[in-house]
Amino acid sequence: METFALSEPVLLVLLSLAEQPRHGYSILKDVESMSNSRVLLSTGTLYGALQRLLYNGWIERLEEHNSPRDRRTYRLTSRGRRNLQMEIQRMRHLTKVAGLRMARKEA
Amino acid sequence: MVLRIYCWLLWLYPGSHRDKFGEEMTCVFREARSTVAPALTAKISFYRREFCGLLFGALRAHFERPFGPDIPFWRFYMQPEFRFPRSTVLLMLLIFAAVVLAIAEASSVAGDMSGSAWRSLVSLLLVMLLAMCTAAAVIWGILHARRRSGVYRLQNVHS
Repeated sequence: METFALSEPVLLVLLSLAEQPRHGYSILKDVESMSNSRVLLSTGTLYGALQRLLYNGWIERLEEHNSPRDRRTYRLTSRGRRNLQMEIQRMRHLTKVAGLRMARKEA
Repeated sequence: MVLRIYCWLLWLYPGSHRDKFGEEMTCVFREARSTVAPALTAKISFYRREFCGLLFGALRAHFERPFGPDIPFWRFYMQPEFRFPRSTVLLMLLIFAAVVLAIAEASSVAGDMSGSAWRSLVSLLLVMLLAMCTAAAVIWGILHARRRSGVYRLQNVHS
């Protein structure tokens, strides 16, 4: 797996784009909805994360002829999807281990 | 008015970032602002989050220029389990008090300084700097020998 620090906001941004391509405001609202309003991204945080994901080739910016400059759409690349799947796999494993440990403690 | 402040704060970002995302960020901010609940607390929370995010984002964008997107020391921010020791607060307060005192003292003596006084002041400052560097090196050496220096703390954080 690539060494890229996946903070919770970045993970949620990736999950938001995993479903469909979105523009900035749509990502902001989707992250809020996915986290039950626990993670509220500011535009500064969002575009910082998007810049890093673009740089690493995890997402791409769609160049549409009719889209205005202030409403660009972002899409997950195959590399981003692969890394996201590996991150989910890692979390699934961690959850499983946590469940087992907690069950052992309670028994 | 608020939108103007936001656009002004965008100038804190590096030019390349501003050219690439400036218009989009302004547009998203405008949309997000229009959906904030009318309650005063909600508005305060929204503006605090936005302006802090902008300042923090600008700072990070400047660091990313020489270091790339994965800034090594920025991992403090990414590691929620990392906590500075409590003594850091005391140390920072002491440093802040020393700086304030030094500024006050310097402004009081700045008025009547002759050329020779300036030279002696510069040499005094150099001696003090040398003494402080030596003291810092000795303290760091002791901490490192006891495996309590920042190097070991960082190893613990990443492992």
